[in-house]
Amino acid sequence: MRHLVFLLPALLLLLALPDTRGRYNDDFDDGEDIAEFDDNDFAEFEDVSEDPAVDVEKEPPPRAAPSSTPIEDDEDEATVENEDSQDEFEDADAQDQDMYSKYDNEEFEGYEKTNSPFKDTLIYREVPAHLQNSWESYYMEILMVTGLLAYIMNYIIGKNKNSRLAQAWFNSHRELLESNFALVGDDGTSKEGTSTGKLNQENEHIYNLWCSGRVCCEGMLIQLKFLKRQDLLNVLARMMRPVCDQVQVKVTLNDEDMDTFVFAVGSRKAMARLQKELQDLSEFCGDKPKSGAKYGIPESLAILSEMGEVTDGVMDNKMVHYLTTHADKIESIHFSDQFSGPKVMQEEGQPLKLPETKKTLLFTFNVPGMGNTSPKDMDSLLPLMNMVIYSIDKLKKLRLNREGKQKADRNRARVEENFLKHTHAQRQEAAQTRREEKKRAEKERIMNEEDPDRQRRLEEAAQRREQKKMEKKQMKMKQIKVKAM
Amino acid sequence: MDLSAKIIYKPPNTETNPTLEDPTPDYMNLLGMIFSMCGLMLKLKWCAWIAVYCSFISFANSRSSEDTKQMMSSFMLSISAVVMSYLQNPQPMSPPW
Repeated sequence: MRHLVFLLPALLLLLALPDTRGRYNDDFDDGEDIAEFDDNDFAEFEDVSEDPAVDVEKEPPPRAAPSSTPIEDDEDEATVENEDSQDEFEDADAQDQDMYSKYDNEEFEGYEKTNSPFKDTLIYREVPAHLQNSWESYYMEILMVTGLLAYIMNYIIGKNKNSRLAQAWFNSHRELLESNFALVGDDGTSKEGTSTGKLNQENEHIYNLWCSGRVCCEGMLIQLKFLKRQDLLNVLARMMRPVCDQVQVKVTLNDEDMDTFVFAVGSRKAMARLQKELQDLSEFCGDKPKSGAKYGIPESLAILSEMGEVTDGVMDNKMVHYLTTHADKIESIHFSDQFSGPKVMQEEGQPLKLPETKKTLLFTFNVPGMGNTSPKDMDSLLPLMNMVIYSIDKLKKLRLNREGKQKADRNRARVEENFLKHTHAQRQEAAQTRREEKKRAEKERIMNEEDPDRQRRLEEAAQRREQKKMEKKQMKMKQIKVKAM
Repeated sequence: MDLSAKIIYKPPNTETNPTLEDPTPDYMNLLGMIFSMCGLMLKLKWCAWIAVYCSFISFANSRSSEDTKQMMSSFMLSISAVVMSYLQNPQPMSPPW
């Protein structure tokens, strides 16, 4: 038993020795030292390599030692080969490979030599981009911010340009307007009409000007509808499809200032569009737009008129001259005593009466430049404003003859009748609901009456009324029958 | 020119024609809010960035009479969506290609 006790630690020591030796092998660069320990049992664990290149490199200690000795035991050729192979691989990876190639092929069972995968199985883990100290990985964000900055820059530039254009227009037209109107520029905030003398900015691209205080008209609203230069998306869209700035003038007249007619002249496209969109043009000017060549104006302009007499009356020499000279700037000119805006979409039970109409003159002018306008171009619109003033005065004097008037009245009556027909069913329904409401209200009143006597009296009165109504109806039916007969 | 005609004070600027008004700022406002919410809930960075763009476009197209509070709230919401997306996931945005 005692012998066993002493044998055990000795055995343990013997087993532990190779490990310690393996660790110490780091310090031994000299092959001779290693040869001293050349014990057959431990031969395989020794580093026998005498190649200085290999010795200089740092090797992973426990494995490097056993790799070289088995081959040293082999023939010299093997060592030469080993050295050659060691020459080829000069890095740590190669060391591993080298080490594995030095293993005795018979030593391991079921071990297949595979040289290449070791290199492939090494995966380089990428450092996450946000932990890297570089801004390059955030290029998308930088792009976004650049885009935003570009948008802001464009906003400022576009806004300023529109503002300058508006101011240029106002400066060139101020004199004319102030000589014709007592009130120029009113934003509607003050109760009394005080001339502000400046444009009212509704938007970054829309400016309004209200002028009033002149004979023949109630007032004139001028809208400068510029392009949305402040919106970059719009700017890019305009590169595909060029559009121009517009000046819209809307003159509202008093009832006595204009006779009853509807007339329009403008570019063909605009006429076709307005005929579809506007209530009065679609109802009163049913024919297709006629060419303006007959009246001496360019082919590009078309005319929509209620009757020929109106066209003859409007198209005098001066008007023709205006239209011919400035045909490129005129989008549309619309005179109407039945103007009520665009067609209202027919909804359930909504339009029970004709929309309100107002005697209006509408002018839409295109600013030259097709988007690339400069403040100087605004001066070229001054003659058009003269045309507006001239038209106001002219229409005051323009009167239809008897036939024309009769025709116009007939037209209006026809339109009203059509409207009433279409809405007949709806009006009936509305009347029915109103009657039912009345009855219900009456009944409720009777019910709420606390005094029974009064209640009785009210009920009797209601009954009598009902009877009277029935009798009246019967009388009417009888009369109709008699008439039919 | 006889200018001694009556002066009409009120300009018909208080026109309540909803059909004639440009709907762009309202649509962009709504889109901006939707994209902000998507960006916040689904943690999508590109949604948040689009929301910022939408609120900018809405601001550029807005009318002078429009409430600035609405504009500011939409703007703040989109900025917060961007900030929250990056706080939750600081990785840079990857392009779709």
